[in-house]
Amino acid sequence: MPPDPVIETRGIRRVFESRKGFLFTEKTRTEALRGVDLRVDPGEIFGLLGPNGAGKTTLTKILSTLLLPTSGEAHVLGIDVARDPQALRPRIGLVLGGERGLYNRISARENLRYFADLFGLPASLRDRRIQEVLDRVGLTEAADRRVEEYSRGMKQKLHLARGILHRPELLFLDEPTIGLDPKSARETRKLVRSLVSDGVTIFLTTHYMFEAEELCQRLAILSKGKIVARDTVAGLRRLVGGDTTVEAYGFEDSEIDRLRHLPGVGRILTEEFGPRLRLTLRSSGSELTAESVRAALGSAHPDLMVRERRTVLEDVYLDLVEEEAA
Amino acid sequence: MNAPGHPFAVSRFRSTAASVRLSVLQFVADPQWLIPSMIAPVIFGIVAYQLVLGSGPYFLVYAILGAGMMSMWGQTLYGSGWATGQDRVFGTLEPTLQAPTPYVYVVLGRILWNVVSGLVGGAIVYAVVVAESGQLPAVANPVLFVAMFLFVMVTLASVGVILSAFYVYTRFAGFIQNIGEFAFYVGTGCMFPVIFLPWWTNPISLVFPPTWALDALRYGSIPGYQGFAWGFGWDVVGAVATTAVYLVLAGLVFHRVERHVLEVGTLADY
Amino acid sequence: MPTTDAAAVVRARPTFWRNFWTNAILAPRTTLGFMRIDFVLGTIFIIPLMQILFFALTVQLGNGGASGIAFVAVGNAVATVTYPSIFSVCQTTDSEKEQGTMEHLLVSPAPRFPMYVGRGLIPILISLATVTVGLIYTVAFFGVQVAAGSIPFLAISVILSAFAMVGFGLLLGGIALYLRSSIVLGNIFLFIGLIVSGVNFPVSALPVPVQVIGYVFPLTWGLAAVRASISGDSLGAVAPLWLWIALTGAVAVGLAMALWRNFERRAFSTGSIVRF
Repeated sequence: MPPDPVIETRGIRRVFESRKGFLFTEKTRTEALRGVDLRVDPGEIFGLLGPNGAGKTTLTKILSTLLLPTSGEAHVLGIDVARDPQALRPRIGLVLGGERGLYNRISARENLRYFADLFGLPASLRDRRIQEVLDRVGLTEAADRRVEEYSRGMKQKLHLARGILHRPELLFLDEPTIGLDPKSARETRKLVRSLVSDGVTIFLTTHYMFEAEELCQRLAILSKGKIVARDTVAGLRRLVGGDTTVEAYGFEDSEIDRLRHLPGVGRILTEEFGPRLRLTLRSSGSELTAESVRAALGSAHPDLMVRERRTVLEDVYLDLVEEEAA
Repeated sequence: MNAPGHPFAVSRFRSTAASVRLSVLQFVADPQWLIPSMIAPVIFGIVAYQLVLGSGPYFLVYAILGAGMMSMWGQTLYGSGWATGQDRVFGTLEPTLQAPTPYVYVVLGRILWNVVSGLVGGAIVYAVVVAESGQLPAVANPVLFVAMFLFVMVTLASVGVILSAFYVYTRFAGFIQNIGEFAFYVGTGCMFPVIFLPWWTNPISLVFPPTWALDALRYGSIPGYQGFAWGFGWDVVGAVATTAVYLVLAGLVFHRVERHVLEVGTLADY
Repeated sequence: MPTTDAAAVVRARPTFWRNFWTNAILAPRTTLGFMRIDFVLGTIFIIPLMQILFFALTVQLGNGGASGIAFVAVGNAVATVTYPSIFSVCQTTDSEKEQGTMEHLLVSPAPRFPMYVGRGLIPILISLATVTVGLIYTVAFFGVQVAAGSIPFLAISVILSAFAMVGFGLLLGGIALYLRSSIVLGNIFLFIGLIVSGVNFPVSALPVPVQVIGYVFPLTWGLAAVRASISGDSLGAVAPLWLWIALTGAVAVGLAMALWRNFERRAFSTGSIVRF
């Protein structure tokens, strides 16, 4: 039997309404989520990718009890987020990140102490636990400085420290490495992996494809409020035509059909690239290579450029998001 | 180690204490607030003293009560709501509401702190008025006066809790409070008896617990005072009853308001 | 040619009036206080009535008589100018800090004078409306009598006061660049104005050192001019008061400009621009 899911949503919709004007109000409706179905299993790092405005933060806020869905159901750790948020809150952590969300005029340690009290950490454990998380995110030396003196990266670390302070079973990370330098970002990813070793399930939203590829067992791609794909990284590669990508440029447009029928081609994409088209071919086998593309086009192309590489998550993401947009 | 364990039990007392502590830390970090909280009572004391000078032998009591109430309004009511407004600006309203502690206990902590600073404001008003007049106020029953003064603070705090919910509800609460500030002074009779107002406004005034408590306070400290016809006893009963209703309402209102802001998704607006 | 266009863009600086109007129209709209017209209407119609009523009834308690009530009614009608002039101007500074736009504003090449003064335009209009409504209340409900012949002088007094008070608001807004929040300053001057500017009792009744402080504020002169206009004083009596309003207002704007420049430098050196 599969384990009980940590997160399970069915048909989540969220509509935002805003009004403008005083006497003659103009109402605007924005559908941020349009029927999202998701399942996240215990102990995994589940990644949610999507362009700006796709609805990632909205979904994260719904799952972490900060927003109610307009319709649909969401169960987190077996609890209905809309019906009993109070029961869920002690068991989850949330890292929204950014410059805001912290008490800037007091120190990091005082920030953590305040939230430790709000989360009910026993007094006997509180100070030790605060020190532990400060050590873990690398803020020990700056712990007693006012947060307003922190760099953006340090604030991000403090957000993370607050998120794990009460040892949540499930941690929501909304773009946790945004604004971090490469070293800090790497340390953060290391921390995320170590949390999973401790038994924490992670729900991660990110714009960084390499980060998602490196961390996540399974991913979903959200576009315009809808999940357009969900699978492992390998599964998503298959979805867009395979592990191998061959890019070609410098041929005549009329020759595309010849390439389309090459053996092993799973998917073919064209885009305008300067005066000519650029062709991207995906394949899951070893039949399609740069050589086979060159051979198919012949030697009468002095500007021909053909490149073979592994399909990366960014390719998958762009294919799916652009397909959805089209 | 970060192994997740059983969630910790939230202590409402500790949450309230944490909120008091945070208020003190924020105040110390930004001591410029000390200036208005010290200057306002001095000015209110001077103005009130001058204006009620001709109101009879108990004018000092009127001046102290009126100016005291005005400065305590600033500290107790405005301060409590303002802190929630600041939570919006800092972006800390979301993480605070996401914590398992009901937000009303965070508000309670802030109000406790503001009650203390409001009392300091009241003491400053007392000192200013006494210094200006060169005499101590003639209070019929000093013990009752002090007890009722503290009770008025409790009634103000009960309004403060409801007001804080309003700050969670909308980012515009501060403006509405500014617009309504003098209306509250007038309506609750903080400087003059509410019976000075047209009779048809009295039902509105009686919705506010401080109206009853202030009338009771004047009955208890000014011989011959002409307030509501029902007198001291019923004033106290009315004050206790309305305060109780406010406190019960506060729990319900906070629950409803929290739910509402989750529905409309305006928690992050500032 | 692209090079010429680029050079034109580099050289382009907003003109005085363009800068002025952009700030006049846009800057207030970025603050919360101007986002809803009902709150602006509340400032204009409710605050004056309640403030006047409060002090009038307090005077009634103190047996101040009809003349006492009329005195505080006029004083508070004019004093309500503090809300739109000082608070709203100060709030633009706070709001820019909170939204993180202050740094971008300060690194822009736009000349500072029209930028800051432009911000005062809408507060001036709201100040005018507030004081006018307040004075109408004093006539309608508080026994103040204004002869038709006094109205031109009264109008000039009110207009000059609104300008001068907004200048004073700009001055406080300049100081607020260096502070975390300008609301504190606004509160202090609101309270001080209640005593030293002759709002509730004549300035002449105050100790001399306090009178001196009072005469620094444009509100004190504005109020004196309004009272003189209502009393039907001659041009010879009112005109010097107008000059004083204009002078204190101009000094406030001059100081505001100097302070904005100085505090811009200090705020950059201390990093307080991003603190709120």
